Amino acid sequence: MADADEDVIQTPSNAAAQPEVDLSDETQDFRFLNHLNFFADASPSIPRRGEKDFEPNPTELQADVLSASRGAMHNALSYPRLHGAKTRVVAFYSPDGYIPPVQPDRVTPKASEEDGKSSESAPKPPRPLPNSARISPDACVCVPSPKGQFFKTMGQADSSSRVWLLPEEALYLIERGSLDIRWPSPSGFAAGPGEEDLSIPMSLQAAYACFMGRGDLTLERYSVYTGLKRLGYALIRAPGWCDDIEQQDVEASNASEITPPKLHGPGLAGMLGSLFNWIHDPRSTASTASGPIIGTGIHRHYMDVYRKLAIIPWYDPATAPERHPSDTTPPFRVVFHVYKPSTPFKKSAPPTPDFRVSVVSTRDQTTMPTMTQLGALLESTPLDPPRGEKMDRMMYMRLRHGYRNVVLAVVDQGVVSYLRVADSAFGKEKLYENKGGPQGPKRNRANYKPRKR
Amino acid sequence: MTIDSLAWVFRMDTPVTNMDKKVAAKSGPASDARPPRAPRPPRPNFRQIHQFPLPVNVHHVPPVIPHNPLSLISVVLSYLTFLISPPRQEVYSAYFDKATSSIHVTDERSINALWQMGFFGKGSLSRSEPSWLAREKKRRGLHDGKTSEEITRLRRTERRELKLERARMEKLAIEETLKAEAAARQSGASEPLDQVAQSIPRDDTTNVTAAATEKFSLKKAKEARALEARQARELAAQNAALAGQNQIESSSNGKSVRFSPVVRKKEFLPTSPSSLQLPDSVVDSFDSDDFPNEEHLQLSNEEAFFLVYSLGALQIYDAPLKSGEIQSTSPTTASALLQQFCHHSFQPARDASASIQPDDPFMISYTVYHHFRSLGWVIRSGVKFGTDYLLYNRGPVFSHAEFAVIVIPSYSHPYWSETEERKNYTAEKQARSWWWLHCVNRVQAQVLKSLVVCYVEVPPPAASVDDIGAVFGQYKVREFLVKRWTPNRTRD
Repeated sequence: MADADEDVIQTPSNAAAQPEVDLSDETQDFRFLNHLNFFADASPSIPRRGEKDFEPNPTELQADVLSASRGAMHNALSYPRLHGAKTRVVAFYSPDGYIPPVQPDRVTPKASEEDGKSSESAPKPPRPLPNSARISPDACVCVPSPKGQFFKTMGQADSSSRVWLLPEEALYLIERGSLDIRWPSPSGFAAGPGEEDLSIPMSLQAAYACFMGRGDLTLERYSVYTGLKRLGYALIRAPGWCDDIEQQDVEASNASEITPPKLHGPGLAGMLGSLFNWIHDPRSTASTASGPIIGTGIHRHYMDVYRKLAIIPWYDPATAPERHPSDTTPPFRVVFHVYKPSTPFKKSAPPTPDFRVSVVSTRDQTTMPTMTQLGALLESTPLDPPRGEKMDRMMYMRLRHGYRNVVLAVVDQGVVSYLRVADSAFGKEKLYENKGGPQGPKRNRANYKPRKR
Repeated sequence: MTIDSLAWVFRMDTPVTNMDKKVAAKSGPASDARPPRAPRPPRPNFRQIHQFPLPVNVHHVPPVIPHNPLSLISVVLSYLTFLISPPRQEVYSAYFDKATSSIHVTDERSINALWQMGFFGKGSLSRSEPSWLAREKKRRGLHDGKTSEEITRLRRTERRELKLERARMEKLAIEETLKAEAAARQSGASEPLDQVAQSIPRDDTTNVTAAATEKFSLKKAKEARALEARQARELAAQNAALAGQNQIESSSNGKSVRFSPVVRKKEFLPTSPSSLQLPDSVVDSFDSDDFPNEEHLQLSNEEAFFLVYSLGALQIYDAPLKSGEIQSTSPTTASALLQQFCHHSFQPARDASASIQPDDPFMISYTVYHHFRSLGWVIRSGVKFGTDYLLYNRGPVFSHAEFAVIVIPSYSHPYWSETEERKNYTAEKQARSWWWLHCVNRVQAQVLKSLVVCYVEVPPPAASVDDIGAVFGQYKVREFLVKRWTPNRTRD
């Protein structure tokens, strides 16, 4: 018992200092839900979580608290979930994928032959949008009149300003209750108010049956998508989404030429030092064949000793060539580009992603990646060297950041564990050259004692 | 001590003192908030003790000052002294113990040197630094001061007591509530029971219960302890004034708190952290001044091979050395040692005639060991945190390990995928389950270490292993830093 509880690091009181504790892991005290006002428009204050009891005790107080919490949860769950008349968005399921808009009767000569305009439905002045090519072949749900915040980051608009949703986007929205998908779809999506009544709403079960497995969407990928989406991230499919992506540029994937570590000669020795070095040059007795590597003579500086010790080659991520995603082995391949909520995101021109996520199912891929698989995955991401004022000062931070990085989402039967994998090159940070300055944020300076050595 | 080494000390000193000052400045305001802690005994001057990062003598060239021709003379002099009487590189000796498959160092001077310069090995009866003799002397009252093991034990006892105190206070609070509820039930026996339940308003439950079920933090427990101690002291003073007979009565009156049996037992533990006191008679029977050191330094095979092959600072014999006796057998050569260690990296040890395979566990672990040592890290076994290695900056007495390393072989060379048999073999060797990775990762997060997954690329079998340097030059190390990503916290 002594080891069980006392070897745990004493965690500081403020939550910000302990990044590993995930609040979502705890069982919640649901009484705070009572304070959420579902109907009021005024922004409510964020409810505080209650204290946690670890054991049942015979007090009535505890029983009351428990039942109140349970009641609050049921109360919150019993809130009727409706499609509001104002925010209702209707979509149509298109089992055959993207259908170009119907050619209207009159086509303006200016418009391109394929991109017609539907002057009846579009209130804006007709303008041919050359983006129907951008609609993914996997898109299968059409929203004739998109409104609301969701379409800022989701869907692809075609020439007649209809938005086409990918299966995961449609599933996310229907699960959220923000979309009403109709089927069978009226011919040509004319979206007249009369025709809408002929179709029937798609149930959630039907949506799962229709969308799961469509266009390489797996349940694991969807778990990652919906989990991150609910947290406010914006996600788009990465080029590595399809397993059979065509190899575009072969020349990029030519044999990776990796430079061996540079074995510097003693360049720091003074002029006189080099002059006198012949007297007792340890190099003369040095032998990597049978040791000792550093030789038996007089050593002038520990730096020279360490330099001589460097006989093990190491991988240098900075000089490795970038690979095409097709070089990677399928589960270890970037499938999502993830953007923080704070990143300004434009659907038509997505910026550089904040995170690159690869989704792995533990039931299909039971083992950790081998070095080849992981190396290829990292080399398919762009170089992101540790730069910046703070990074330059702190070696530990540089090592933790690494030169390339990727997020592995390991899905084990619906439970997603995210791992950030970075290519850190210890060989690039010569510790022996360090003069003992600050290495990185000492995370536990204040309570020095309890940490384990 | 020579001038050169003094210069080295001086160089080492400057940045470290700065760091210490910073620490002092940082801990200043924090210590105000907390109750004053008992002053810690001064730490030994680790900077002085561990001034050399490796057990290798380094002789600095005295600096040449251009406008001072005398400095030139000192340089020439230093070279002349080396020319006339070259300083000898200290070579320590040890022996290989087949039973434990490790290297034992029994010579007192070698033990100290290997520990102080580069933190090699561990004491066979200690946590890391060989401190058994100091502890034993202290136990016999010959020596005072604290070893790191004792500090840890003291800390654990203290925290354990605080936790018991907290549990006791929680229990008290529960009893109070129960009493209050019983009283409420009795007084309101006429009114229906469910009204009592409703006396706590539904909407304000959070606020009410937040106040009622307020947790007792360790800090509070500490405060309560201090208060109790003061009360006890007052009580004792009172008792001293009173006659002896009254004493028992008043103390039983004064303490209304009921202790749980565990706490009660705790109270009567001896204050000394080393509760394993030998009976006096046994202690007396020893000659208290002089007793042999039963502890030896134990080097891992990687450490020993590094000292022998890379630094040439160690000689390894097959049998234990007798003091004063001149060794009849010659020390094991580096290549023979490599053979031996490779065979002993299997359990049970392989036959001596077996040839070295490129993926023998020792070859892989030594590659990683040498790699990190050559970069200046103090690399020690990570078995206490379930990893292969821990990386310390300068050494375990200076700072906590920042990185924990797990080693995985990699067979990416085309040789390993030539036949189906080799493919199966390497697949099995490389396989690590996700659960295992998650387990290791969570432990490292809990002990605030960064997890480094270190892959070692295994070359195809070599024709000969005569040139050790060439053999290890074919391996390649690649490090990946793995950290749990919490999407909740990276949103900004």
